[in-house]
Amino acid sequence: MSRIWTTIQRELMSYLFSPVGYVIAVLLYLFRGIEVSSIVKGMSFLGGDVDQFASMYVLQRSSLIMIVLVPPILTMRCFAEERRSGSIEVLLTAPVRYWEVVVGKWAAAFLFFCILLLPTLAILWLLAGDSYLSAGVPFSPVFAGYVGLALVGALVLSVGVFTSSLTDNVLLASLSAMLFSWGLISGPALALPHVGPWTLEYPFVETLLIQTNVVDHLSSWFARGLIDSGKCAFYVVGTIVFLFLTTISLEARRWK
Amino acid sequence: MIRVADLVKRFGATTAVDHISFEVERGEVVGFLGPNGAGKTTTIRVLTCYHPATSGTAEVAGHDVFADPVAVRSQIGYLPENVPIYPDMRVVEYLTYRAALKGVQRRQRKAAVGAAMERCGVTEVRRKLIGHVSRGYRQRVGLADALVARPPILILDEPTSGLDPNQRRRMKTLIRELADEHTVLFSSHILAEVGDVSSRIMIITNGTLLADGTIDELLEQAPGRALVVTARATPGDFRRLRDGLEIAAPTLGEADAAGWCTARFELSAGQDPRDEIARRLREHGNDLRELKLELPTLETYFQYVTEQAEAPEVVAS
Repeated sequence: MSRIWTTIQRELMSYLFSPVGYVIAVLLYLFRGIEVSSIVKGMSFLGGDVDQFASMYVLQRSSLIMIVLVPPILTMRCFAEERRSGSIEVLLTAPVRYWEVVVGKWAAAFLFFCILLLPTLAILWLLAGDSYLSAGVPFSPVFAGYVGLALVGALVLSVGVFTSSLTDNVLLASLSAMLFSWGLISGPALALPHVGPWTLEYPFVETLLIQTNVVDHLSSWFARGLIDSGKCAFYVVGTIVFLFLTTISLEARRWK
Repeated sequence: MIRVADLVKRFGATTAVDHISFEVERGEVVGFLGPNGAGKTTTIRVLTCYHPATSGTAEVAGHDVFADPVAVRSQIGYLPENVPIYPDMRVVEYLTYRAALKGVQRRQRKAAVGAAMERCGVTEVRRKLIGHVSRGYRQRVGLADALVARPPILILDEPTSGLDPNQRRRMKTLIRELADEHTVLFSSHILAEVGDVSSRIMIITNGTLLADGTIDELLEQAPGRALVVTARATPGDFRRLRDGLEIAAPTLGEADAAGWCTARFELSAGQDPRDEIARRLREHGNDLRELKLELPTLETYFQYVTEQAEAPEVVAS
């Protein structure tokens, strides 16, 4: 356990001292600020159901950027950079187990992801003031929505850690993880309307698409304040599977 | 401390290490010598559990490298070639992180890092980013990392490569000092260096262990031994000196005005006829000015065994 914590500390320091995180933060908060101001303007001038506010607040374009683009950028260096520079040899010849390194690196990326994500809640706190929305905005669904975003983020980060362990090219590592996360987010949502009579023969196709429909999980469940254990399990298990695959990939590298 | 038996490591069709066996006992400083690409680094990587062996066994401090890699690695301080370490960390931060990763208790960490930095002479750059220090310092930071958890075994892969002569001398002194507390296995392709530092030498070429022994033992077997005799004697006297001894005819120099002449007898491995030659010269009434046994250098020995490797014969002590 102490080795995982040591790895988390070192990786987190590396995120905090790298300019990449700050560039992401600035762009993200700027983008989100503009989006939120347009929602608020829309609601105040045109009127709108404040109950819808939570799902609108959670499901912004910036949220999609946060779960499609940001995790692969955070994790691309995890192993690819270590392999490129050769420092992986120093790391893996220390008395650590591979899974401890993998979990440590992922956990640090996840913590940094949360550090980037959480300040966007501050806007919500500002909005609670009388001068903005003079209506009782339900905040709890927003928090549930953030739990959803964090879970999707955890999964995509674990995919990013995995792709980073496969190559020593950071660009390739990040692009392949982005491809996966983009596929995960848009794939089921795009495919579901095309589910027709042919799927009656293969009912698992529809089940699979429903189970993996991230956008629906976020909009119909988390952003409505519904934290469903089945939906959570999908992300938790998915994360564990990819972390396991990363460990296997590190083990397999030794055999080459 | 280190036991390797019949170790083979193949990468695809290439055999990097081919059935090598050796042992390193506690307190020894063993130099692992061989040209670039001979299989030194591969053998070291098997011992540090970075690569698994294709076949054969390797044990470090009683733990099998395949069955119990974490226990093996906790017994080893490893300095890889080129010292790939994080350039974005400060020296002291890096060593503290490594100490924590290697299980040094929080309370002892500061002292352990301080002692390792002191020993390797990096205290003055402790606040600098590793990316900003010179190659020599980086090498020493790598060594401090290997030492920080005070492991009983140190494995150093080319610890002096890329260093200037002064830095190299300091590194050699440091390795000699480390021998008091640690068992050291270090690799190099610089012969003089290995001879200076190690108590025992192993020579590996093309993945095969060609020689294993102390320097004196190995040089005993090497060609290039010669006896140089300067005496007031005629060529005939010199030739007669070898009667009954298995020595080839000497090469004779020109006699000077006073009659001193130098003869050079090529000797085979292990021969030392100095006493006998001196006695014979005395008996024949020849004045003797100098009698010198020329020993082969490690370099000639290295050349000899690597050339021998062309033939399938293996030289081992």
